Amino acid sequence: MASQIKKPFISEPVLTVSTAPHWHCGRSVSGLMMETIIALSPAVLMAIMHFGLEAARVVALSCVVAVVTEAICLKITGRDVSIDDYSSLLTGLLFAFLLPASAPWWLVIVGISLSIILGRILFGGPGASPLCAPLVAWAVCKISWKYFMDIDLSILNTEYLYPLSQLKLYGSEAASGFNYLDLFLGKQLGGLGAVQVSGVLLGGIYLIVRKHIRPHIPLAFLAGVFITASIYFFIDDTRYANPFFHLLTGSVIFGAFFLATDSASSPVGHIPMIFFGLIGGIFVIIIRVYSVYPDGVPFAILLANLLTPILDKIRPKPFKTK
Amino acid sequence: MNKPTIFLTTEFEERIRDIPSPDEMNIPLKGHIPRIERKEKVLQGARIAEHPESYAGDIHASLSGKVKNITPASISIKTDTENLQTEPVDISGIDPGKELISALKSLGVDTNNLVKAKTLIINGFNPEPGISVYDHLLRDHQETLERGLELVRKFISPTSTILAVPGRSTAHLAGCMTFHIKTFYPNSLNRVVVKSVTGFDKPENVAIISIPQLYFIGKIVETGLPLTETIITIGKVNYRVKIGTPIRVILEYAGISVQPGDRVVLGGPFRGNAVYSLDQGVDKDAYGILVVPKDMFSPVTDAPCLNCGECVLKCPSRIMPNIISRMAEFGLFEKTIKYGIESCLECGLCTYFCTARRPVLQYIRLAKDELAAQESNKR
Repeated sequence: MASQIKKPFISEPVLTVSTAPHWHCGRSVSGLMMETIIALSPAVLMAIMHFGLEAARVVALSCVVAVVTEAICLKITGRDVSIDDYSSLLTGLLFAFLLPASAPWWLVIVGISLSIILGRILFGGPGASPLCAPLVAWAVCKISWKYFMDIDLSILNTEYLYPLSQLKLYGSEAASGFNYLDLFLGKQLGGLGAVQVSGVLLGGIYLIVRKHIRPHIPLAFLAGVFITASIYFFIDDTRYANPFFHLLTGSVIFGAFFLATDSASSPVGHIPMIFFGLIGGIFVIIIRVYSVYPDGVPFAILLANLLTPILDKIRPKPFKTK
Repeated sequence: MNKPTIFLTTEFEERIRDIPSPDEMNIPLKGHIPRIERKEKVLQGARIAEHPESYAGDIHASLSGKVKNITPASISIKTDTENLQTEPVDISGIDPGKELISALKSLGVDTNNLVKAKTLIINGFNPEPGISVYDHLLRDHQETLERGLELVRKFISPTSTILAVPGRSTAHLAGCMTFHIKTFYPNSLNRVVVKSVTGFDKPENVAIISIPQLYFIGKIVETGLPLTETIITIGKVNYRVKIGTPIRVILEYAGISVQPGDRVVLGGPFRGNAVYSLDQGVDKDAYGILVVPKDMFSPVTDAPCLNCGECVLKCPSRIMPNIISRMAEFGLFEKTIKYGIESCLECGLCTYFCTARRPVLQYIRLAKDELAAQESNKR
């Protein structure tokens, strides 16, 4: 019955049409998130090595609750349930990295749920949140449940010390007692993943080599920490700790490579990125020196996040076409 | 086919191959007005359409035959084998001025950039990655290019002529200073080349001309015949084709099969147009045909912007495609002006590098169109 088949309106073969460009570099959101998770995996292993199954418990719980919360929230708000892009999994992992290994289960659940809801969903998902999502929840937990977020409570479970609270309580004398190599290898207390300095540094370098993050923010952040700490150290080295001590403790390295570079809440230009990093780094030391919080990194990055819209105003003039 | 890259030099085969004349051709019109009737017989080189603007070149029948159909988009000609040509025009005797300009226009050359300027820049870059036509012409057709340059110089009378070429290229052209620019797209765009050579976005007294324009002017000087062919890159081979040759014929000759759902692009990967039918003919500005297989890339989506900033850092116009595309997405077209949307060179790099796979350039074009429509409504 071939004669009855109508000649198609469009000629064969039917082609796809689209606007230019017709090529793509091949990057995807899920790829970016997955590679960031891969970059964090050495630190996860080191955390389990140092803190045992306690660390694994916090990480696993945080990741699972992150994905489930995101799925439920997206369902309620009627958006596409895009949890398969691993971005909520990454938020869960980043949040777990900031918690002490001794964090109780309810704190992990409340914290990561807040991180997803306050940090991501309320502002319209990835790319729209003005603050780094894991840090929002960290700040809420730190202020609300000071006792449970206290890093020093992990002391009972391990042989390590929390160098930053040692510095806060006993001064630079105590700080000089730490071996830098031990600190670098993660033999210290702090956020369970954040203090795995060598693992985190390895992951950060991997991300830069794979061009998932630009080196501007991490390097400027570290420079900000180092320069400010050096200034204090030179003013009075009996009162203030060595700048290398500051670089190797708390979440400095983790913050520089993984939190400050959060794409939604950091600026996009070359110069704004450098300023953003420097300001974050300077805040870290100022908070460590003057405030009651031993580790200044989360608050420093949150403060720098607030400056992002202003920093983004530093722009070159657009191409003159008229 | 080629791997996605922004590198502007491509290997190419030694020789330019000729595509045999097709039985039927569809000569595309770009705002041109047909000057012939249906069923009329035309000679090769006969004028069949002209443009209302005085600078745009006329369109000629690229083979002799009979006009089969005329639509606003194209003129179809059933070709015959007689191959009768129009008489050549000798333009070497005409003094430069209005007369020579109109002679060139009637031979198919766009003459809008043939105006007096102190500096003449010749853009020696392949226009887009994956295209090798410009390199090929610069290497193998120096004489024709020089003849074209000689005529162009009469109009522009520049005090200096600069040939802009990719970083390590050894290309040269008699009487031109060579200027090297990094070999990455979008450094091949005319505006970016002018900026790289002079240091200014929009300097005065600078004219820029492309290698094919020189080549075809040179060809016209040599033969006296109008412009009826173009040279296009497919993969690693350059082909000489008659304007209006259906893409189907070219791809068959090149041995490339097209599956349903593939994209066939006339032009290059960054600025080309996806054709809707293989019967479409190539136009005189075409420099390549690209087949993008259906599943080569994940499809574009309306996913939210991640604000990763890749588009901002790659943008040669120094604007913020991330913000502009978000505004266009939600219909805030006026606000995009403040972010410099008019500076957009439409190079396509923002979309190429977009991690979220957003159609950034499409959003920008939408905003530009909406703004233009608002502007014309006001008048």
